[in-house]
Amino acid sequence: MSVTGDTVKDTVKDIVVVGGSIAAVTAADALRRHGHEGSITVVSDERYTPYVRPPLSKGMLKGVETEESVFMAPPRSDVDFRVKTRAVGLDRERRRVLLEDGEELPYDGLVVASGARARRLGPPEAGELVVRDLDDALRLRAAFAEAGSLVVVGGGFLGMEIASTARGLGLEVTVVDQDPPLVRQFGSLLAEHMTRAALDEGVRIVRSPGGVRLVGQAPVTGVRTAEGELLEADVVVSAVGDLPNVEWLAGSGLGGPEGLLVDDRCRAAPGVVAAGDVVARVSDRTGRPRRSPHWGSAIDQARAAALALLRGDEAPPYRPAPYYWTEQWGLDIKICGRILPGAIPEVLSGSLDERGALVRWTHDGVPVAAATVNHRMPVVKLRKLATAS
Amino acid sequence: MRIIVDETRCEGYGFCAEAAPHLLELDDEGELTVLSEQVAPDEAANAEAAVRVCPVAALRLQS
Ligand SMILES: Cc1cc2nc3c(=O)[nH]c(=O)nc-3n(C[C@H](O)[C@H](O)[C@H](O)COP(=O)(O)OP(=O)(O)OC[C@H]3O[C@@H](n4cnc5c(N)ncnc54)[C@H](O)[C@@H]3O)c2cc1C
Ligand code: SF4
Repeated sequence: MSVTGDTVKDTVKDIVVVGGSIAAVTAADALRRHGHEGSITVVSDERYTPYVRPPLSKGMLKGVETEESVFMAPPRSDVDFRVKTRAVGLDRERRRVLLEDGEELPYDGLVVASGARARRLGPPEAGELVVRDLDDALRLRAAFAEAGSLVVVGGGFLGMEIASTARGLGLEVTVVDQDPPLVRQFGSLLAEHMTRAALDEGVRIVRSPGGVRLVGQAPVTGVRTAEGELLEADVVVSAVGDLPNVEWLAGSGLGGPEGLLVDDRCRAAPGVVAAGDVVARVSDRTGRPRRSPHWGSAIDQARAAALALLRGDEAPPYRPAPYYWTEQWGLDIKICGRILPGAIPEVLSGSLDERGALVRWTHDGVPVAAATVNHRMPVVKLRKLATAS
Repeated sequence: MRIIVDETRCEGYGFCAEAAPHLLELDDEGELTVLSEQVAPDEAANAEAAVRVCPVAALRLQS
């Protein structure tokens, strides 16, 4: 049982993966690539086979891409991939994943890749619109086709992408947030640039430090800010962050509100590894658990988790190399590294006003992040800029 | 088996090139180059993995 000299732990025969998206699929691919010959069973509670999420707030929502185009290549034939199958419990002692229909799946190794879901402001019966899965995006796309106006609650990258898409379709758009949009993820230089682009396109941005309350129920017809302003629209969508899907782990001693905590090899417990949006790692910088809910992190963690399951301590530690992107207001932005609070930006080439630029941030004199704005550059190069002087 | 890039969709994220470095590469301009359109049998698994990690589903395989 060995591929290119890899040693695979013979004790790991049956592997169960809980999740139906990029982390789950990448973990299954990596397990096979590293020589795992035992069974792999993937359970996903979605009614679709895996698809890509990033276009759900961009091209697919706009209607320039069809829903068919977001599906990933079919799951591999040497993996038992089950849709509409929800894990509801974990018995770590007996090493079994409990399914909703009562079936128990025994495992030697478990990959937790249950991701995250949209946070909501109201109770389920409020009928609040969010964008997390394919059905959410289809619902919102249909609503846009009939609507004249939109209120987006949340000015993070998801909220601003939805706003940009809707504006492109001709809707009147208002974005409301407690904080100035985008600053947390993009730093003030880029955030202000993007916000200005949004304002130039006629979007209204409302700041409501005290938060907002939904008005109306199924459908929500507007929001009221803590300051008392009523914002009404044909469609109201919440983009107020995501919550890790850890509820099915309740009682197993794993998982909490911050996510499923893993070590430097993506291990959560003996025989249990995790990857993707569900994962929290203790930040080297702050010492606090932190999630990195991005496509690239899900892939990197899934590869690291698969190796750790097969090789334990011999697997190389996972070194986070954050990489994420956004498309909005005609700006195509890719970022490597983390724009730490207080980091100082420098435009290395081009100019933001000319709408094409290369920017680098340094913190205490050390490069921490680099970004391209409407500027093509191989990711490896961008990554080097983000880490070396 | 052949690997095909839809250039109008490809955004140059490069996840695919990491999964199948013998088949795909990002060039100095950040454009994706197909090093070998023909996928040898021992590269098939890597090619499939490359197709699956693309966040915009810009790659496909044709047998
Ligand atoms: C609209 C949108 C746009 C985005 N755009 C970008 C972007 O531009 N760039 C970027 O880097 N990232 C982007 N992201 C984030 C990126 O999509 C996520 O980081 C990525 O999908 C995480 O993958 P994952 O597999 O960890 O989790 P998820 O994608 O959340 O998948 C988890 C899967 O597990 C299933 N599941 C959950 N619980 C159970 C259970 N108990 N039993 C069985 N199955 C279960 C879920 O149904 C789901 O299929 C975007 C996300 C969204 C929603
Ligand atoms: S992962 Fe997709 S978008 Fe990225 S370079 Fe490859 S084909 Fe292009």
